[in-house]
Amino acid sequence: MRIKRFAAGGVLLATGALVLSACTPGAAPGAEIVEGTSITAAWNQPFYSANGNTSFGNATANNNINYMTYSGFNFYDNTPELQQDTAFGTYEAVSEDPLQVQWTVNEGAQWSDEVPVDAADLLLQWAALSGAFNTEGFEASEYQDPETGAFTTDFPENTVFFDSGATPDSGLGLVQETPEVNEDGRGVLMNYSAFDVDWELRFGAPLPAHVVGMGALGIEDPAEAKQAVLDAIQNEDMAALSSIASFWNNGFNFTEMPSDTSVLTSSGPYIISDFVADQYVTLQANENYVGDHQPQVQTITIRFITDPMAAVTALQNGDVDIIQPQATADVRAALDGTENITVQYGEGATYEHVDLQFDNSKNPGVFSTLEARRSFLLTIPRQEIVDRLIVPLNPEATVRNSLVFVPGAEGYDDAAAAWSENFGEVDIEQATALREQAGLAEGTEVCLLFASTNPRRVQEFELIRESAAQAGWTVTDCSSPEWGGLLGTPGAYDASLFGWQSTSLGASEAGPNFETGGINNLSFYSNEEMDAVVQELGGTADEARQIELKVEIDRILAEDAFGIPIFQFPEVTAFSDRISGIDPSPLAPTIFWNVWDWTPTETNIEG
Amino acid sequence: MATFIVRRLIAAALILLAATFLMYNMVAYSGDPLEDLRGVQTPQTAQLIEARIRLLHLDVPPPLRYFIWLSGIGGCFVGQCDFGMTIQQQPVLAVLLNSMDQTLRLVTIATVLAIILGIVIGITTALRQYSTYDYGVTFISFLFFSLPIFWFAVLLKQFLAIGANDWFQTGARIEWWVIALVAVVSGLFWSSVLPGDRRRKAVTFALGFLAGGLVLWYMSVSGWFLNPRFIVFGLDFSMLTIAVLMGAMALVVTAILAGFRHKRSMWIALGVAAVGAALYYPVNYYLFNPQVVPMTFWLLAILGVVTVLVGVGAGWVFGGENKSTNMKVGGWTAFLVGAILVVDRHMQLWQAYSQTGFVRGRPIATIGASNPGFSDSSFFVQSVDAFTHMLLPSIALMVISFAGYTRYTRASLLEVLNQDYIRTARAKGLTERTVIVRHAFRNALIPITTIVAFDIAGIIGGAVITERVFGWTGMGSMFQNGLDRVDPNPVMAFFLVTGALALLFNLLADIAYAALDPRIRVS
Repeated sequence: MRIKRFAAGGVLLATGALVLSACTPGAAPGAEIVEGTSITAAWNQPFYSANGNTSFGNATANNNINYMTYSGFNFYDNTPELQQDTAFGTYEAVSEDPLQVQWTVNEGAQWSDEVPVDAADLLLQWAALSGAFNTEGFEASEYQDPETGAFTTDFPENTVFFDSGATPDSGLGLVQETPEVNEDGRGVLMNYSAFDVDWELRFGAPLPAHVVGMGALGIEDPAEAKQAVLDAIQNEDMAALSSIASFWNNGFNFTEMPSDTSVLTSSGPYIISDFVADQYVTLQANENYVGDHQPQVQTITIRFITDPMAAVTALQNGDVDIIQPQATADVRAALDGTENITVQYGEGATYEHVDLQFDNSKNPGVFSTLEARRSFLLTIPRQEIVDRLIVPLNPEATVRNSLVFVPGAEGYDDAAAAWSENFGEVDIEQATALREQAGLAEGTEVCLLFASTNPRRVQEFELIRESAAQAGWTVTDCSSPEWGGLLGTPGAYDASLFGWQSTSLGASEAGPNFETGGINNLSFYSNEEMDAVVQELGGTADEARQIELKVEIDRILAEDAFGIPIFQFPEVTAFSDRISGIDPSPLAPTIFWNVWDWTPTETNIEG
Repeated sequence: MATFIVRRLIAAALILLAATFLMYNMVAYSGDPLEDLRGVQTPQTAQLIEARIRLLHLDVPPPLRYFIWLSGIGGCFVGQCDFGMTIQQQPVLAVLLNSMDQTLRLVTIATVLAIILGIVIGITTALRQYSTYDYGVTFISFLFFSLPIFWFAVLLKQFLAIGANDWFQTGARIEWWVIALVAVVSGLFWSSVLPGDRRRKAVTFALGFLAGGLVLWYMSVSGWFLNPRFIVFGLDFSMLTIAVLMGAMALVVTAILAGFRHKRSMWIALGVAAVGAALYYPVNYYLFNPQVVPMTFWLLAILGVVTVLVGVGAGWVFGGENKSTNMKVGGWTAFLVGAILVVDRHMQLWQAYSQTGFVRGRPIATIGASNPGFSDSSFFVQSVDAFTHMLLPSIALMVISFAGYTRYTRASLLEVLNQDYIRTARAKGLTERTVIVRHAFRNALIPITTIVAFDIAGIIGGAVITERVFGWTGMGSMFQNGLDRVDPNPVMAFFLVTGALALLFNLLADIAYAALDPRIRVS
């Protein structure tokens, strides 16, 4: 009898401990949380900062998680297209010339500690992202603790430094005067000193001002702390701002569960509940979240798995439910034919392309004529590269036909016309004729720069070399493991093969890439028409007109034979039958963009 | 002796200096640390690149940058270690400490088990030289020795994780032919290990065959693998099984350390085992009950020491004329009895653990060090969780080093057994047990110390491949991530720690050798 009782007791005890440790159901308003549902996703890099606005914390691994814990005014869906989160707040450009923007948080929006989200949070976000209070000529690196990398608190007295990479001539840096706070205290009105075409994208999800106030100024009451931050900004109290900035820079950086959990305060559908260094982050549904993005899964755990094949096995074994490993042939082979697992092949945010050097090339003047450039680009076997190298990883892969638009985005189809018209198919005859027109002898050398360490680019190089040889071009190997450093170096190469990663659909990304002297213009390209279009785009508020101008950019690039886009990097997402509703976006935060649509399935509930 | 050590230390420092210089430059020249930033199409790129150049002193050429790094390391001598920053702006020192923690957890158990198993099997094969068992072990250890670990680890995941979990989910029954096979192997094992003439061997084979087959058959039918208890007609007889097991342990300890002629030793061992069995319920009700005693690793370690001391105490009190041997017998028996109690405590949890929503009947994990779902659970639940996570990587690591240990031990013991003083000892009429345990075994261990010392240095170095395949973020992955990102600082931290340990343990091995073997003098 005793034995039995013990056995029963032991099992009861064990089960009790296990049950207690399991998730306690939350009573979120309107949420359809199925009790105790949990989902585990894998990501390849550990989380390390809850503030993705600093140059330190700006990394995908952080932004994915911050996306789930902070609500902002807008986000990208998987089209990709910018969507407003009107349940959080609204915004509009009150005037376009000069640009004035009104941002308003909805009544009732609150932080996970039930403190309302209001103008103080917006004002702090502005102060940080605009760098308006940053002490001039202050060299932050001199005060960086070499051991921890954190900024030491003993900056010279009253020095303010928000580490947001702000510059006074772009983005929110253009708003130098303190925005007016609305009467109801829930909104701010920003006055721009110059037009910013991407103003919508610049004002990311705000951080909790009251937490910053409590941490930086040592105030215990949240309401008081919030007011203190508001006062400091409005009265330009440099002493207070100095510690506020320091806390904003450092207070949200942690690599394991912080002892003071107030920095985890969330305004989004989830809140961090556990964090073990280098292993995983656990997010619980935020009970005090009142927005539209009500979560359906109670607990989401992000485990950090570096090796793509290890992630695949972990999915097969049920250790994780969602993976997005680097797409390789091995990964695809391993995922194919696995039961109970859905595999989605799609496109990532990076695209491969060939650029030609208009000037300062290795073989002097080889691409200075339009004929020469057109001739060379006509030989690039784009379809063959896609068929042989990309289709095995993404069965639906196609040739990318734009240097500006992400495939699927509005305007892509119009822009693609120019490319398919000019470089639709490889045309050896025309290429040979054009080369002769340009006065280049058969066997003219073109030195192609690419990453020698990347096997796929080596294969692409071979395909390009073979095809170009037919039109009388001799493509030579300028590859290097340090290709990145060679980009834009005069006399180093004639053409380059590499990938550009898009982080947004912003109109201002085109400028630095194609205008004369732009920082990402590595080809010494200069075209007055292009400069004019880029200039106009920078001052255009109308979205339809912006798209027209971007299509125009693509047309000019195609006609100038600037270079040629080849393909979008393939991306593979796989998930188990315990979850549904996953529909990844090409832009960050890829799989997480619709985390609120993730729905636990029957299998999950039974478990 | 002192001059020898000082000379060796100076040489070690110089070697380390030259090696780090080479390593630093090789890593720094292996690629472009700014590559990931250059590909991003934003206007902010230039600032990010500049920030990284500033942070990592990329504007200084590597051979000179090495000295910046060296001066940071030099700070260690004045208590201000600066290992620099990683490319992700994390202090390398913090990453290093976390990595070492993970690595020690993963590799220590695997290494200790490999050493114990390797030595035990090595000894038995030497004692049964040229038997079926010896040939079998030789074959298996060469097979293991030549396995590429990356491939073996993936196989383990496929069969011991995915395959075993599928098996757990479908009832954990064993096919009849597997039972038969195991029975045959068991019969062969016992008949070739135990001595005797042909007829006796046949009897041993039959008994081994029956025992192996029956145990496995029982485990299969009773669902032991799903719930490792001995339940007959709804009553839990696990406690009786454990009492028997403890008694058996007591007898084995006596046989090895004292021999059955010493009745007193046997009774002490059996007494300790009886106390352990009697304490079964109290321990489980109170000491191992998380609601009464909040167990931690250190508390358990202290309890372990106390248990051993109690056993030693029993040997001292009742030891009679043969105190020192009996203290050993008592201590070892107490240790094993305690270990059985601890293991049993975890086995009670097995079924409840595998049926939670986080595990869903698939207990064997392929990735990471723990399941996030159990972070608030009791110590024992977390230990079970740690076990399911460490099982595969530990097997992968053990299999490789185990092979080496068996070979070295076997060779070393055989060499000793052929020496004159062993013949003298036998001629003197000592029992075979005394000859082997007291005279041969000790001397055979001397060369093994050298190998063990090297391996302990290797422990901290981690296992680059195993860590990656099983998703552990230890020293190996720190090293690899550093290499991937062309980031010398974490690579150097790895190299410095492993290099220094290798040199240090090399020195220790030499000193230990001299201390153990009086024929050798260091000077």
